[in-house]
Amino acid sequence: MAYIGQRMTRVEDERLVTGQGQYVSDITPSGTLHLAVVRSLHAHARITHLDLSSAQCLDGVIGVYGPDDVLPIMKPFPPGMVDARLQARMPTPLATGRVHYVGEPVAVVVALSRYIAEDAVRLVEVNYEPLPAVTDPVAGEYADPIHDGADSNLAAEIAYRVGAGADALKDADLVVQTSLRLGRVVGHPMEPRGIVAIYDSEQQNLSVYAGTQGVHGFRKSLADMLGLSESRIRVVAPDTGGGFGLKTRIYPEDVLAAYLAMRLNRPVKWQGDRYEEFISTNQERDQWHRAKIGVKRDGRIVAVVDEYYQDQGAYTPSGIIVADTTAVSIMGPYRVPNFEAVGKVVVTNKVPVGPYRGAGRPQGTFVMERLMDHAADALGMDRVQIRRINLLTPDQLPYQNGISSRGALMTLPYGEYQKTMEQVVDAIQYEQYRDTVRCEGDWRLGIGIANYLEMSGGVGFEGAKMRLLSDGRVQIATGASGQGQGHRTAIGQVAADRLGLPFEQIVVVEGDTAAIERGIGTFGSRTMIMAGNATTQAAKGFRQRLLAFAADLFEASPEDLMWQHGTISVSGVPARALSLAQIAEEALTRQQELEYEAYFDASGPAFGMGTHGVEVAVNTKTWEVKIRQYRICHDGGVIVNPLLVEGQTIGGTVQGLGTALFEALIIDPDSGQPQNASFLDYLLPGAGEMPDFMITEVEYPDPTNPEGFKGVAEGGVMPPMAAVCAAIEDALKEWHVRADVLPITPNDIFLQVTRGGAHETRSI
Amino acid sequence: MEITCEVNGQPVTVEVEPHWLLADVLRNQLGLTGLHLGCEYGVCGACTVLMDGEPVRSCLSFASQVAGHQITTVEGLAVDGKLNRVQTAFINHHALQCGFCTPGFLVTGTYLLQQGKLLNREEIREALSGNLCRCTGYQQIVDAVEEAVNQQSANAVECE
Ligand code: FES
Ligand code: FES
Repeated sequence: MAYIGQRMTRVEDERLVTGQGQYVSDITPSGTLHLAVVRSLHAHARITHLDLSSAQCLDGVIGVYGPDDVLPIMKPFPPGMVDARLQARMPTPLATGRVHYVGEPVAVVVALSRYIAEDAVRLVEVNYEPLPAVTDPVAGEYADPIHDGADSNLAAEIAYRVGAGADALKDADLVVQTSLRLGRVVGHPMEPRGIVAIYDSEQQNLSVYAGTQGVHGFRKSLADMLGLSESRIRVVAPDTGGGFGLKTRIYPEDVLAAYLAMRLNRPVKWQGDRYEEFISTNQERDQWHRAKIGVKRDGRIVAVVDEYYQDQGAYTPSGIIVADTTAVSIMGPYRVPNFEAVGKVVVTNKVPVGPYRGAGRPQGTFVMERLMDHAADALGMDRVQIRRINLLTPDQLPYQNGISSRGALMTLPYGEYQKTMEQVVDAIQYEQYRDTVRCEGDWRLGIGIANYLEMSGGVGFEGAKMRLLSDGRVQIATGASGQGQGHRTAIGQVAADRLGLPFEQIVVVEGDTAAIERGIGTFGSRTMIMAGNATTQAAKGFRQRLLAFAADLFEASPEDLMWQHGTISVSGVPARALSLAQIAEEALTRQQELEYEAYFDASGPAFGMGTHGVEVAVNTKTWEVKIRQYRICHDGGVIVNPLLVEGQTIGGTVQGLGTALFEALIIDPDSGQPQNASFLDYLLPGAGEMPDFMITEVEYPDPTNPEGFKGVAEGGVMPPMAAVCAAIEDALKEWHVRADVLPITPNDIFLQVTRGGAHETRSI
Repeated sequence: MEITCEVNGQPVTVEVEPHWLLADVLRNQLGLTGLHLGCEYGVCGACTVLMDGEPVRSCLSFASQVAGHQITTVEGLAVDGKLNRVQTAFINHHALQCGFCTPGFLVTGTYLLQQGKLLNREEIREALSGNLCRCTGYQQIVDAVEEAVNQQSANAVECE
């Protein structure tokens, strides 16, 4: 039976629906001490005085530590994602001298319970001398440097040019320019970050439980910071309550907890809460764009030019991956003969920016799709029609768009982009819609279409290690740990097919450095491409390994053996057969491990195209926006499990709708203080506001990997912003509302309407 | 202080401080770590448990308040190792990804099921709006609750 392509329910679920999941917060070894963090109250200030003494005196407090008390780890984190264009700004685990954002760790308390630790945090006295906060990347570029020793706040400049770049605009019949703004989005996995560190002083080994997306990278960073050999550290990612990119890198609290566990020789646990998630976990989006598109009168694109700023926050924990991916994502699935993008990454007094689902792809898509809409409007052309004209056609594919990314020239593989878009256009009845009445009482209706090109995988390697268990099941370990994607099921499906075994005979182990020597992790929608193909490779070698072992047993040559349904037999002699369980037994008596490990190397990213179509209703009294219909057509390459792919697509789309309509951390421009750092004020999409999504899949196998897999977790989050903005503008044509600033809220719409159709709204 | 209550059908006596939260006592003292803390201020619903059959936020309740009451947590939804309808429907519809929010949704869903009313999708969405999920986008959760609740009500109608 072929498992790939089946809507299989997940092997992960039974534990999770009965409350048996073990997340970091659920793990509390006996004797655990609890760590709590004293955080900066200022966006930018000098610390003039730090007094730990009152906190130290509280009953149940084991220790209170400022930077001078943890000197061995007081060094900058190794730069994440080194890039020649970047002058990295990396924090030390505790701030020294100066604080750079509200929430930066200043000191830590370790106590017998979290209640006591949090009480003690309040007793730590910190005196600050406030400094002017840099809260705007445009002005901030030339403001006094926020980091000691830096020349300026410009951390990196990114530049891409294809064809004649901006010079080509002179050949256009029409040039349209727009300013776009994406708010500062907090990713908010439902499980806040946390860590449990356990030190075995006898063996001098450190074990940590951390909800990280990459256990091996986490181990490496921890080893660097602690000055400990990697071989002495085991990192386990247990059940993890969402990651979305925010848990790819190590954070200050991780190092502090691990260091103090070693020093105190007791397990130390830090469990962050929601407020800490708001003021200490990497944030994203937060860009300002000034974008131009030049078109011919018939709608053909001549050039796209974008200048943008990344409001980077105080540090560069993941280098410039977000800002860089933005630039390379702009052209999307279109033929853009001339292109230029210049991006400035400017450090500001805010929480650092690091990848959140999409990592720049949504920003790039927003820019391009908004430009298409505005160009169509300026030409008096239909907004879908301009896309028809400019989408790449099958005869133009594969297509190199002139940009080099992830170590390879971006090459868009075969796909039928027009067909994909037309499926959505038809499903949402776009053509009929244009001519019908678009009012229902106080509600105006509008429709928006947006396309995207999802770039996935494409960097590094990932491994799969197969091992025959004593009961004849095959265990597959991979470094790509999951945070809810269902890897154990999907990788199990691939393995079962490629080994010709029943699915039930496969066990997938993820997120444990003890289970496989090397790994990179889960991000950039890479796991099925990377670990999936590694599984396929390992299956080949593992079969050979088992056949060779069986050949010895049978005193036959491996070529004469048959592998069928988990039984190895001598060809033509069916009586001479051994099941995998019997082989495992033989291996045990001969003290042989039957295992095989393979690593798959990426040869460039995979690309899948898709379209979203949305119908909104906007209330002309309250300016509330409701989503009435949502259609998606999506190329997921060879799909392993449609049930899981739908989950990823819908989940991503809803996160995109959050960015479109609700989510932005509002920072006071003068003080740098967050204004809405709670779930009461920062709205996540809820069940009541979200629609049902109708999804169709197309499957164009990806040519860069043998299985033809593509990533599917980020497509959903890329186009909802542009589609919703287009639909709102369409609904409110009468008022000339322009939806170029995210999130687009009833308040923004109201202000624009009362001003008679503004082109610039507030800045967040 | 010492409190006695019933948790998942078992009588329990536990020593608590007056300011300890129900969520913490269930998780730390009783080892029922199924419920999760996603916000600790009553918005996310991950900590939802049933108290005498009604959903409550265990992060907003003191342990001392439940003396003499019956508490059901996610660990108590399956009976004799058999998953309840909501749990089964969650698996079948892929209504969970990371699973962190899931205990709260299952408890809320089970409450809806116990109400024995037919609910349409809009009503289900409304009823679930006190629970946040960042992974699923809700649709498959609504599918699961719809199936569980309406199957149950359909059976009830047949029996009458
Ligand atoms: S933890 Fe109780 S509602 Fe969020
Ligand atoms: S399944 Fe992850 S938060 Fe709901």
